[in-house]
Amino acid sequence: MDKSIFTGKNVIIQGITGKNGQFHTRNMLAYGTHIVAGTSPGKGGTAVEDIPVYNTIADIQKDHSIDASVIFVPAPHARGAIFEAIEAKIPLIVCITEHIPVHDMIAVRARLKGSKSSLIGPNCPGVLTPGNQLLGIIPAALSTPGDIAVVSRSGTLTYEAMDLLTKAGYGQKYIIGIGGDMVRGSGFIDCLALFESDPEVKRIVMIGEIGGTDEIAAADYICRSITKPVYAYIAGHSAPVGVQMGHAGAILGTNNLESAASKTAYLKKAGITTADSITELVKRVQ
Amino acid sequence: MNLLEYEAKGILREFNIPTPNGIIYRSGDAFPKAPIVLKSQVHTGGRGKAGGVVVVRDQQEVEHVSRDILRLEIKGEKPQTLLAEEVLDIAHEYYLSVLIDRSSAQIELVAHREGGIEVESHDASEFLRKPLTSANANELGETLAEYYDLPSQTFALQELVANLYTCFTKSDAILLEINPLVVTRDERLVAGDCKMTLDTDASYRHPEWQFEQSAADANFVTLNQHGTVATIANGAGLAMATVDAVTEAGLTPANFLDIGGGASVEGIVASFQKIMEFPKVNAIIINIFGGIVRCDDVATAILAAKQQFHHLPQLYVRLSGNRSSEATELLAKEQLALYPDLPACLAELVHG
Repeated sequence: MDKSIFTGKNVIIQGITGKNGQFHTRNMLAYGTHIVAGTSPGKGGTAVEDIPVYNTIADIQKDHSIDASVIFVPAPHARGAIFEAIEAKIPLIVCITEHIPVHDMIAVRARLKGSKSSLIGPNCPGVLTPGNQLLGIIPAALSTPGDIAVVSRSGTLTYEAMDLLTKAGYGQKYIIGIGGDMVRGSGFIDCLALFESDPEVKRIVMIGEIGGTDEIAAADYICRSITKPVYAYIAGHSAPVGVQMGHAGAILGTNNLESAASKTAYLKKAGITTADSITELVKRVQ
Repeated sequence: MNLLEYEAKGILREFNIPTPNGIIYRSGDAFPKAPIVLKSQVHTGGRGKAGGVVVVRDQQEVEHVSRDILRLEIKGEKPQTLLAEEVLDIAHEYYLSVLIDRSSAQIELVAHREGGIEVESHDASEFLRKPLTSANANELGETLAEYYDLPSQTFALQELVANLYTCFTKSDAILLEINPLVVTRDERLVAGDCKMTLDTDASYRHPEWQFEQSAADANFVTLNQHGTVATIANGAGLAMATVDAVTEAGLTPANFLDIGGGASVEGIVASFQKIMEFPKVNAIIINIFGGIVRCDDVATAILAAKQQFHHLPQLYVRLSGNRSSEATELLAKEQLALYPDLPACLAELVHG
């Protein structure tokens, strides 16, 4: 992901007329996000918070160029909504929708390959560039601008990290929640590359979870390609083996590599500063 | 959602994947005819080692063996159903599964020459792993025949791989594991056992999904029956982080609870009910960061729980985000103080 896609101006909301779409459109507008239009099939010509509603993205593109889209479309129609945004060559797509079937996401990932779009999510809180714009549902009032970049698989844990960092006097340049689903758009490595390429980012906070091996691949990548200090926490140290805790991403199988302890040990070996709780993590940053 | 073996095999048959002949047996049904293998239908693994699979050759033993298996609790689960299957004349057992590789977002075929209950002891690097698509079933079937050293089964394996792909995608499966994949002495290729996990997020497009469900709830997990600190949080990550912080403070967490994004007041009160069942819990940490969850709903539930349960353990409440000022007001009326964050809750709990 190029850092320029996070500074684009014109934002649209797919699924703007739904309850969540309306509520969070208001919050994003209040934060200063420049929303030019929204979509809702069959409701073209109406408006939400004075933002014009169109039937399709193609209709919007007759009037506006689009830099980013935030998707609130319900799960059964989310695949179609993401496809539409990819077809429209929107550089940054942020999908908040949860409970999208994993086979739909496999199709989305295939469609993203070779496209002009980057996807954050689904099932994620979105992207916040403090002092600039909010693309999603992150409680932005708890953040403050600064030089730390945060990437996390978990939504609420992202807020927790942001809140503790702000209270400790550490501002943030990026807050990115990549989502907890098994198959998602951008991952840790895409975000780490972004943070490395942005000279305004001085330190990186990475929050992982049990299940999957993304953090292991990220550790290898950090070893090879990241020069900035990285602080990491893997949630789920107290998770029993073979038990699913909450959402799809966090299933701790019998594969020992996927436990919090072994991921943390692996990260440590890669020279990354680790912590066994979020509180300790923020202390380490200090 | 994990299926029972007989449910998974029912789906396999719909996609023309061969399974042993078998019938369902439940308490009160006519006894199946020996020789037969009786298999406990539970959601947990390790069933064979626990005595949940028994070959019965003598008809007179069918009655008491089936009764014994129905009574046998395996890792906390008692079966409602037995599967009674033909006894296969096994020449060799292989391992074959279809799964989703998270990082590449591809469907993968995974195989091993030696299947059966010890398959987990094989090193991960020993398994054959290949991306499986709608277009490469023939090629993969051939690869598999070569890998298993079963040249005479090439056509059968090609057909099997093609059917597995269709079954996996059409059924919205996350995992489909055939272990063992049996080759019989008369050269039949049969799914000896099958584990299948379906994607609950896809249930809206599968009205046909009617399965025996285990009572396991991914959102409420007991960590320690004798734990002293109960936890209530929203979001799996924050809920796990809360449990981790309790452990790190030197205390014993009793449970993991993620009330999720759509938590209702009644649902949260029901969580308190579950926590009241832990005998040694003397503190409850409530750690909510409202994005979609409304903090005032959580506050209302806390007040309702205080009304309903007279011996409610000490509460350490932290509510931030969506409608937290309304929540603070509600709780202040009942002289219930809020903590600004989790470290403050824990500091009070440990030193207060």
